[in-house]
Amino acid sequence: MDHAKPVGGKIFTPPILFLSLLFLIGFYFLVVRYIYGIGSVSNLSHHQAWGVWKVMGVLVGAALVNGGYVTAFVVYIINKGTYHRFVRQAVLFSLLGYSFAGFSLAYDTGRYIGLLNFFIPKYMQTNSVLFEVGICITAYILILAIEILPAILEKFMPEGGQQNWAASLHAYLNKILFLTVAFGVLLPTMHQSGLGGLAFLFGQKLSPLWQTPLISLLYVISSIFMGFCIVIALECLTVADFKSKSYVNMLGTMMKMAFYVAILYSVIRWIEIFRNGAAGQAMELSFESLFFWAEWILIVIGLYLVSGQKKLSSPKNLFLGSCVLLTGGILYRLNTYIIGYESVPGLTYFPSLPELMISIGMFALQIIIFITIIKIFPVITKE
Amino acid sequence: MDIKRRSFLKGIAGAGAGVAATPLISGTALARESYKLQDEHVGMLYDNTRCVGCKSCEVACKRANNLPVEPDEALGIYDAPRDLSEKTMNIIKMYKDEDETAYIKRQCMHCVDPSCVSGCPVSALNKQPNGIVTWDADACCGCRYCEMNCPFNIPKYEYNEFYGKIVKCEMCINTNLPKHGQPACTEACPNEAVIFGKTKALLAEAKRRIKESPHLYVNQVYGEKEGGGTSVLYLTKAAVPFSKLGLPSLPDYSQASASESIQHTLYQGLIAPIVIYAGLAAIAFKNRSGDKEE
Repeated sequence: MDHAKPVGGKIFTPPILFLSLLFLIGFYFLVVRYIYGIGSVSNLSHHQAWGVWKVMGVLVGAALVNGGYVTAFVVYIINKGTYHRFVRQAVLFSLLGYSFAGFSLAYDTGRYIGLLNFFIPKYMQTNSVLFEVGICITAYILILAIEILPAILEKFMPEGGQQNWAASLHAYLNKILFLTVAFGVLLPTMHQSGLGGLAFLFGQKLSPLWQTPLISLLYVISSIFMGFCIVIALECLTVADFKSKSYVNMLGTMMKMAFYVAILYSVIRWIEIFRNGAAGQAMELSFESLFFWAEWILIVIGLYLVSGQKKLSSPKNLFLGSCVLLTGGILYRLNTYIIGYESVPGLTYFPSLPELMISIGMFALQIIIFITIIKIFPVITKE
Repeated sequence: MDIKRRSFLKGIAGAGAGVAATPLISGTALARESYKLQDEHVGMLYDNTRCVGCKSCEVACKRANNLPVEPDEALGIYDAPRDLSEKTMNIIKMYKDEDETAYIKRQCMHCVDPSCVSGCPVSALNKQPNGIVTWDADACCGCRYCEMNCPFNIPKYEYNEFYGKIVKCEMCINTNLPKHGQPACTEACPNEAVIFGKTKALLAEAKRRIKESPHLYVNQVYGEKEGGGTSVLYLTKAAVPFSKLGLPSLPDYSQASASESIQHTLYQGLIAPIVIYAGLAAIAFKNRSGDKEE
C-alpha cells in the first residue's frame, strides 16, 4: 500500500548551506544565553515573560506541525486509506516540530534542570494546564516517533520480503498501529486545547477580544484547520504531483475540510467576542484592534481563495489559501500571548535580534533535518 | 471518493471538539469554588492614611531578606527602585495629583486562591497552612507562567542571572517571621501604617476603622473580595480610589477556580480521555482492513 521512496540527491545543496549558516548564528547566541542568562540575549522582561521562544517555538510551533494529527484522523478514524500517502511526511514534520518545541523550552525556561520535575511524582501539579500540556507533548513525541519508525525500518529491511529484525519489528508495529493511532489523535486534542487554556488563567491581563472560557475549544479547532493547511502547503512544496488528478482532488478535499473547520472557528470566535462585549473595542483605533483585524483579514482572504469547487482544484489557490489561513492561525496565537496580553499598561514587547536569531536558527535546523531525512528515508510518495 | 463532510464532522464532534466542549454541558457538576480564607491565615493591613512614605519598610525588607540595592544613578540615590523587581520585593509608591498625595505599599498579596499556585506545573509555588505563598527553588523550572498569570504582577524572574530564581515576598517566612514573630516591613513601620496579624482579625480592624471615621476612607477594604480575596488588605483615603493606586479591579472569584473548573471537568479521574481513547482505538481497529481499500 505504500510506495514511499527516498527522494535522493545531494545532501549539501546551497539552500541547506544557507540554512546551516542561520543555524550557526542562532547557535552562537544560544551559547551566550546559557552563559549570561536569558536577559543577555532577549527582550523578555517582567512585563512580558513569554516572548517569541515560547509563543513561536511552542504555541505556534505545535499548531504549525499539526499535520500528523489531522492525517492520522482522516486515514485511520474516518478510514480513507488513499490519504495514506500524506501521513508519513506530515508525521515526520510533526515529530520534528514537537521535538524542537520541547527543545525550545530547554532554553526558554530559566531553571531548565527543573523541567525534569514534570516527571517526578512529588512535584507533579495536576491542576495546572501547563503540566497537562507538558506531559501530553512529551507523550506525543514518543507516539510520533513510533509512527515514523516504519519508514526508518524499511531502509534496513532486506529486499524480496525476507525476515530480519527490522522486518519483524515493522510487522509488530503494524499490528499495534490502532493503539498508536488512537493516542496520535487523543493527545494532540488534549494539548492543543491546553495551549489555549493556558491563556485563560491570565484573566483580565488578556484583552476581551481574545479572552474567553472557550479559548481551549478555539485552539483545538484552529489547530485542526491549520493542520490541514500545513499538510497541503508542505505537499505543494515537496511533492507537487499536480499532474495526477486524484492527487489534486485529495488536496482539494482536505482544503474543503479546512474551510469548514475555519468557518466553525470564526463563528465561535465572533459569538464569544459579542458575548464578551468586546465588539466596541474592536472598533477603536488601537494597536490591539489593528492586529485583531489583520487576523480577520487573513482568515477572510484565505477562505475566499479556497471557496468553491473550481478554486479547490487549482494548485495555486490551494497553496496560497493554505498559507494565508495558516498565517491567520499564527497571528491568532501571537495576538493571544503577546499583542492582546498586557500586564503593565503602555509597556510593549518586541523581540531582540539575538532572540529572533535563536528561534530562526532552530527553525533552520529543523528544516535541514527534515530535508535530509526525506532524501535518505522512504517518506514521500510520488507517482 | 471524497471524504464525506458528514462523517468528517461526526468524527470531529466525537474526538475533537467533544473533549473541549464538555464544560459547556457538564461544567456546573465539577465547578470548583474559590478557596475560602481560613482562620489561621496571616496577612497584613496597609492603611495609606497613616503612611508617611518614609520607606523604612523597604530598607528593612532588603536587610532581612538579603536583597541587593538598586541605585538610581541619574539622581545619585543609593537605593531607589522604581517598581517591584528581582531585587525589590516590597516597595512604597506614590500617587500625586494637584490636590492629593497618597502612598501605596506593594508586595505579594498572598491571594486566598492564587493563580500562580494553580498554574505552576511543578508545585514550585505553594500556599502554606498559614496562608503565605512560598516559592521552592528545587521544584521550579523557570517557565515564568507565574509571572504571566499573576493578576498583581508579583513574581519576578532574575533575567540577568545564568540560572535565575523567582523573587517574591514570602512574608519573611524563613527570615524575620521566625526570629521576631512578624515580617520585617511591619516591624520597621514607625507609624503602624502596615500591621501584621491574622487576616480575619485585620479585616475586622479595617472595617472598624472605616466605621469609626467614614469620612476618612473609601468604603471598601481592598483584598476582602478582589480575585477571591487576598491575605494582604488595603485601606485608602477617601480622595484617592484604589484604581489610581495601580490596583486592578478584579471580579470577586479567583481566576484559578474558573480555570480549574474547566480543567477538572475535562480530566477528573482521566475518565473522559480514557473513554475517548478507547473509542478511537476501537474505530482504528475496525478500520484496519479498510486501510487497503479504495
